[in-house]
Amino acid sequence: MNDKIKLAGRVAIFAAGFAALIAVLLIANYVQSRLNDPIENKTIPALVKRLNASPEDETLKSEIRAFDLIARKAYFTTKWQIRTGTYLMFLSLIISILAVRYLLSVRSKLSEIDPAREEKGLDLLIAQKWVIYSGSGLIIIALVSGLLSYNSLKEYMVNEKMSAAAGEIENPAIQPNRQAGQVEANLDPVQPNAKVEADSTTVQSNTKVEVPGQPATKDSASAKAATVSAPGLPTKAQLRANFPFFRGSDGTGVAFQKKTPVDWNGADGKNIRWKVKIPKPGYSSPIIWANQIFVTGADAQSRMVYCYDRNTGKLLWEASADKIEGSPAAVPKVTTDTGLAAPTMATDGRAVFALFATGDLLALDMTGKRLWARNLGLPDNHYGHSSSLIIYKDKLLVQYDTNRTGKLLAFDSQSGKPSWETLRNSKISWSSPVLVNTGSRMELILTTNPNVSSYNPETGKELWKIACLSGEVGPSAGYADGMVFAANEYAKLVGITAGDSPQIAWESDEFLPEVSSPLAINGLLYIATSYGVFACYDAKAGTKLWSEEYGDSFYSSPIYADGKVYLTNTAGKTYIVKATKDYQLVGTPELGEKSVCSPVFMDGMAYLRGVNQLFCIGSK
Amino acid sequence: MRGLGKYLYQSESIVKLLKRFGFLLMMLFVTAQSFALDAQQRFPKPEFATGYAQPATTSPSPRFLLLEYLDIFVLLAALSVVTWFVLKKRSRKGVFWTSVFSLLYFGFYREGCICSIGAIQNMVLGVVDNTYKIPLTAFVFFLLPLVFSLFFGRTFCAGVCPLGAIQDIIVIKPIELPKWLQKVLGLIPYLYLGLAVLFVATKSEFIICRYDPFVGLFRFDAPFHMMMLGILFLATGLFVARPYCRFFCPYGVLLGWMSRFSSNHMTITPAACIQCKLCANSCPFGAINEPVVETGKRHSNVNRMITYFILLPLWTGIGGLAGSMVHVPLSHYNKTVYLAEQLIEHPELKDDQKNIDIRTFLTSGKTTTQLIAEADAIRHQFYIGGWLLGGFMGFVIGTGLIRLSAFRRRDDWETDKTNCLSCARCMEFCPVKRDEDGKITINER
Repeated sequence: MNDKIKLAGRVAIFAAGFAALIAVLLIANYVQSRLNDPIENKTIPALVKRLNASPEDETLKSEIRAFDLIARKAYFTTKWQIRTGTYLMFLSLIISILAVRYLLSVRSKLSEIDPAREEKGLDLLIAQKWVIYSGSGLIIIALVSGLLSYNSLKEYMVNEKMSAAAGEIENPAIQPNRQAGQVEANLDPVQPNAKVEADSTTVQSNTKVEVPGQPATKDSASAKAATVSAPGLPTKAQLRANFPFFRGSDGTGVAFQKKTPVDWNGADGKNIRWKVKIPKPGYSSPIIWANQIFVTGADAQSRMVYCYDRNTGKLLWEASADKIEGSPAAVPKVTTDTGLAAPTMATDGRAVFALFATGDLLALDMTGKRLWARNLGLPDNHYGHSSSLIIYKDKLLVQYDTNRTGKLLAFDSQSGKPSWETLRNSKISWSSPVLVNTGSRMELILTTNPNVSSYNPETGKELWKIACLSGEVGPSAGYADGMVFAANEYAKLVGITAGDSPQIAWESDEFLPEVSSPLAINGLLYIATSYGVFACYDAKAGTKLWSEEYGDSFYSSPIYADGKVYLTNTAGKTYIVKATKDYQLVGTPELGEKSVCSPVFMDGMAYLRGVNQLFCIGSK
Repeated sequence: MRGLGKYLYQSESIVKLLKRFGFLLMMLFVTAQSFALDAQQRFPKPEFATGYAQPATTSPSPRFLLLEYLDIFVLLAALSVVTWFVLKKRSRKGVFWTSVFSLLYFGFYREGCICSIGAIQNMVLGVVDNTYKIPLTAFVFFLLPLVFSLFFGRTFCAGVCPLGAIQDIIVIKPIELPKWLQKVLGLIPYLYLGLAVLFVATKSEFIICRYDPFVGLFRFDAPFHMMMLGILFLATGLFVARPYCRFFCPYGVLLGWMSRFSSNHMTITPAACIQCKLCANSCPFGAINEPVVETGKRHSNVNRMITYFILLPLWTGIGGLAGSMVHVPLSHYNKTVYLAEQLIEHPELKDDQKNIDIRTFLTSGKTTTQLIAEADAIRHQFYIGGWLLGGFMGFVIGTGLIRLSAFRRRDDWETDKTNCLSCARCMEFCPVKRDEDGKITINER
């Protein structure tokens, strides 16, 4: 028995000593890993920075790979050491403890507990008191923490209900069964604008127009004569000669201008013809008609439309979206990255139209004089309404998908009278309508959760829909050659053969945009993601042709112009690539300030809105 | 060497023991640090194209069915063996080595899962969610120890539960806590049980599993704070025997209820108690009741108990109100509620590419308003659950007071069936022994 006790004692001591040794080694390992944390290694980021400056440096790439491999080896070796050491230490401790327990058991030692020194007669009474104290304490803590807590959900839901009720009251004019006479009564009286320069309406356009892949048409020729004072509806060529909507004359991201610039620098002024600070913030992209360029800006105080001289940057006039019946007294809560002026304006050369996150829809003539205005009801939108406007013939079309309901609205562009309203069985979206000619008819394509839908822009009748999207849909549709392209982050990218029986021709989920819309041109499809990837697909087959990871986010949409695709990232750097199957980078000019807007083009110049300024880009 | 052994046996100084075991605490602390380092975020992806094709994501296969049945068989066998050791053999040594086996099998081999304590949550989820099918192992692991407790007392705690075993092994120098402290701390398991049920019923969290202090030790992997918690429990357990079992274990509440009615519960002595008082200081869990005679005036004692009876509905009602009040803070621990509140208060978070919860929500296709409506509904569930939880706690406090004020004459030293863990320590102290022939002898100590 003594031998067993001796052995157990020795085992206990040896195992404990070994565990202590391992513990010391683990401490040393821990300190070393903290001092030389491979994840915090500054060498690789420095090398990567150098590589960004010279992306083709193969030697540098090899050097980075070597450093990266070393860092990884160090990290995983440390992990292995820690894990193995911990196992060994635990095993030693268990052996030591078991040996001690064995010692106790073989010696048959009965271990008595140290008794609490209590007066036995009183302990139950004391226990009762303490149970009462503890129970009361628990209840008080619960009551106080309940009183101090703030139920933001409840407040939100109450606001939602109030907002819904207010929306129903504020928006009687666009109820489907509303009578025309009543609509008239709801129209805001025309507000004369104090700051109008009438001369700006008479500037002649000299824009050269060429439709990609098509010879110059009679329409394109006549576009040379496009003027801001066109009395009738604009022709297709006139629309293409200008830049009347978000993402061009169809809303598909195709610009029909030539000789677009590829080199500029906003910081040092290289090829910057002019730049002007926009008084109020906004994420709407510019639109152009003849010599006028329009943007919106808004803050809690006011919602504004700004008209600049396209050639000089001079502010021609500004108009406020104020005194509109039904407009909310307080601006809605919107996120800073959406703001109150996210929807891009629209123009048909006879009037310009602007929409704000308050639901205020404003129509101005080309001199800034208010034609009509109305409030569409406060959009229940947790980020802020951002769907842009588009015009078909004499109808101003508004995609109004909110948390409460989805609607497609049409207004007579001249009078503001509701033409029709289509209720949509859809969830909220931030995308914009796209007008396409499928060869047999005009269709208005809308994207939302879950549908890609097509409507007759004349009547608002739904032509087809196909459920393929999910989530909070921001990107609008792309279109080319009979195929509609839609995508959303965390959903998928789909190519749809349009028609009465639409079919999903292909789908992919490798690169998905969050905000930026797809661009389809020349059989190619371009996708820009919010995590900085620019990818090109074969539009027909859906196969990826190339992808480039640039780093900064892409919120703006790619625009095709003059054989090139322009894509601006949130840092203000524009990537210009040739619209070809293989990746050919033409240039990476920088704006010098952040931007989420898409570039627009006219007369060999590009116009790009930064977060603060509007830039005119072109050789001087 | 001999000096060490002598010291281990004879030292009565807690301070000296603390010094001697200081290195143990140090090592455990280092372990926690090591795990914390090990558990940090995975090494980031390289910032350049490597040409390496990421392997397709695969899900681990479910555990082989036969092995699940093996777990059930081992549970049944271990329960039977330990019950046999407790009731028939009256062998502390047998109980101890059974618990070592259970620690190795259910603890280190099965890595603490499945366990009967956590199975409470499976059962509750099975009740509230008709789409959830309770796994057979979870069902058996929940039920079998309760059945054994109902007939034989808490033999599961004695030798089968790995959480109990790891604490029991390191009980070196136990001290007795004051009665009042034991009673106050004894409220915690009821609260923990109530919270666990509430969080499962609202489909928020399996808090028993998430905050299992020992599973990290079994798996050699846990967040730093959980590893520290386990170490603290073990360090405390050197002197306060099985602190988790006595003052936290929610399953212990159910086992206690069952054991209270057990007909074949272990007894300190195999025959009539000879009133030698040797067992008085044998139980490290304070689960031996002394013989009592009524103290104080009987009239005042009865009045006090009647008062407690009258106050019972008040405790329950106020408890329910307090529970309902605390539903907002409690519901923060529900991921949907938390996410909805985050999006209300910080809408810009939707652009946070690194926020997995936000990314998952965006992937789901739901709108923010839908999410908030869901969160509001869950919070309402917490409101109802808060009433029930608070009422339950009020009832537990009220009945606890009644029990403390109730006088029950006791002539012998007896086990407290509710709290006795059937560890058989007291049997070693009892000089009354029964040999294999059934003959009773009284040993001289």
